[in-house]
Order: sequence, then structure tokens, then C-alpha cells
Amino acid sequence: MSRNGVWAGLLALGIAAVVAVSVYAQDSLPAPSPIEKTLADRATHVTEVTLDKNMLAFAAKFMDKDKDGDKDKDDQAIKQMVQNLKGVYVRDYEFDKDHSYTAEELEGLRKYIQGSEWSPMVHERTKGAAEGTDVYLKLVDGQVQGLFVLDAEPRELALVLILGPVDMDKIGSLGGSFGIPKDAVKSVKKAQKEAGK
Amino acid sequence: MKDNRWYALLIPVGLAVVMAPMILLAASGNGGGFDAVVHGIESRYHARATRIPFMALISGIAGLSTHGGVRGLHVATIENLEGPVDGAELNALVEQRVGRGWQRMIRETSRKGSDQTLIYVKPDGDRMGLLVVDLDGHEMDVVQVSVDPDHIDDDMGHFRHPHGRAKDQPDPDNATMAEKESE
Repeated sequence: MSRNGVWAGLLALGIAAVVAVSVYAQDSLPAPSPIEKTLADRATHVTEVTLDKNMLAFAAKFMDKDKDGDKDKDDQAIKQMVQNLKGVYVRDYEFDKDHSYTAEELEGLRKYIQGSEWSPMVHERTKGAAEGTDVYLKLVDGQVQGLFVLDAEPRELALVLILGPVDMDKIGSLGGSFGIPKDAVKSVKKAQKEAGK
Repeated sequence: MKDNRWYALLIPVGLAVVMAPMILLAASGNGGGFDAVVHGIESRYHARATRIPFMALISGIAGLSTHGGVRGLHVATIENLEGPVDGAELNALVEQRVGRGWQRMIRETSRKGSDQTLIYVKPDGDRMGLLVVDLDGHEMDVVQVSVDPDHIDDDMGHFRHPHGRAKDQPDPDNATMAEKESE
């Protein structure tokens, strides 16, 4: 093999490695933002939940199992959805004072999901206050492959990132499970309702 | 004759090459988990953990009664822990001591330091190792257990209400949501 052939082979291998790493990075959970640390320092109560694909697949085993063969098919569909998810990342901060976070911090948290595949579904803002709700969807070939919710209440800030194929009809069932706040799920349901109008 | 000498040399070298990763793995402190975490907490907070007597027996009985659903139970309690516990420091301590393969699943912390919960998991084939470090006021509990979700689910199934939620009966949470949506 000529020297040029060897170099071309190495280049192709390098490109393949970069593509593989970038694909993996898109599906992997993000590294914690420095903003999270400052928020955690200010919060009176912090809940952090991080579940990767393996943990979710395992956690799905704990979900209600069909013993008689006639259990609600929805439960099985939810279990199937959880098994196929690639990651769940939840951060919930509770504060003892109103608006213990800034608009800049919220903007910084939104940058978690920067990328062409993420589409804003809802931007809800309260005039004159750094609070509101953001819902983003990751769409790949028309399929929902991720969901991001940033719910900023006066004394609570919740960040939910779900990666993997998400069934929007079943997402309501995850509220209260895996550390996902019910309020965040309500925001998604509300957004779906608004989008349907 | 010359070939035989080469073989005599190659065999020990080959064995050393094969064994080296295992030896390095053992030497790198793979023995994390429960004991390492408890010792770390004891030395950091100058406290003495109380271990439950006959825990191996209790663990064995738990394993039998749950048909292998729960086993490898370890419990340690540290009472009268003095002073507030820095959540970040406790987290770093446990992270450092817990060892390879353990992943933090849940962390719950309060600013005043009186309530801290850390839950680590370690997939192990069909089983899952769970390590819980929980601080409530001045008492800290460390629990490690290995669970088999399939067997646990089988056992828990016996205690489910036979007339549980019917297929057409909505889930209370979802019902509330649906009601709110319709408002």
C-alpha cells in the first residue's frame, strides 16, 4: 500500500472517530453547568437525579409488571418508553426568598440544549420577573428524541432533561417518577394543549 | 533444545502479561463500597459507626425470605454526629471512597446541612447494588444492599391489592391533570 493510501486510511479513521464521539456526546447527559453550583449554594433544598441508559433500563424492571396478561397496555408502553430512554437529568432547587436566581442564570441554563435539533415549544415569561417556563423538543427525522423543561417559579427552579425517544402522550406518567417534578410535566402538557389549538 | 528454553521464558512472561491488568486492578483500591465509605465518614467526622450485630445472618434470612431479591445487606449507623455537615464535602468524600462502578443516582441536600441523602447504584448483571448514605439531624445511616428487581417484583406482587386500579379507572394524578386541563 502506498504512503498516500496509509494517510487516507488514517484520516478516514480519525473522521469516523470524531463522528462517533460527537454522536455519543449528543446522546450522553451533560456535564453540570457552573451555574448549577451557584444555584445550589443559594438554595435551601437541592435535589439532583441523574439516570443513564443502563440505570433507566434497570429501573424499568421495577415498574409494574404484567402478571396476568391483562394489565393496562399503557403501563407496558410507559415501561417500554423508559427502557428506551438514554438519560434523565433532573435538578430541582428550592429557595427561601423569591427570585433567588437571575435572568442571566436562566439564559445560561437554556444553553444546555443549544443545537440545531432542539426546537422551542414554549417560552412563557412573567413580565418584570425572572421567571417562566421553557419547553424544548429534540426532533430527529420528525421523531421526538429529547425533552427539556426549565420551570422557574418564584421560589423553585426545576430543570428536566430527558434524552431518547419520548412518547409525548405518555410523558405525563413520568411526573413524580425518577425525580421529575409534576409541575414540569404539567408545563409540557399545557404546552401540548397550546400547540394543539 | 533451544526452542524449549524459549518456551520456558515465554510462559512466565505470557502469564505476567495476562495477570498484570488484574493485579493492577486489585492494587488500585477496587475495594470501595460500604466499608470504605463508612471508614471515610468515621475518620472525617471523628465518629464511630454502630454496626448491627449478626448482620450476615439477617442478610441471609432476608435473601431467603425474598427468594434472592435482597441480599448482601450492610447497615451502619452513626449517632450523635456533631456539627453541621457540608453537603459538598460529604458528597466528595463518598464519591472518592465508593469505588469503581458506582454511579450517583440521587443527591438531596439542604443548605443547613442537617439533611443529606446520597444514593449510589452499581449494576451487577441481573442485580443492582444500592448504597444509601442518609443524614437526618445528628444521625447518619449507611446502607448497602444488592437487589434483584425481578424477584422483588414477584414478592411485592403478592401484596398488591387484588382489586387494584381497574383498566378504565384513571390514575389519580393524571385525573387531576386532566381535570385541570379541561378547566
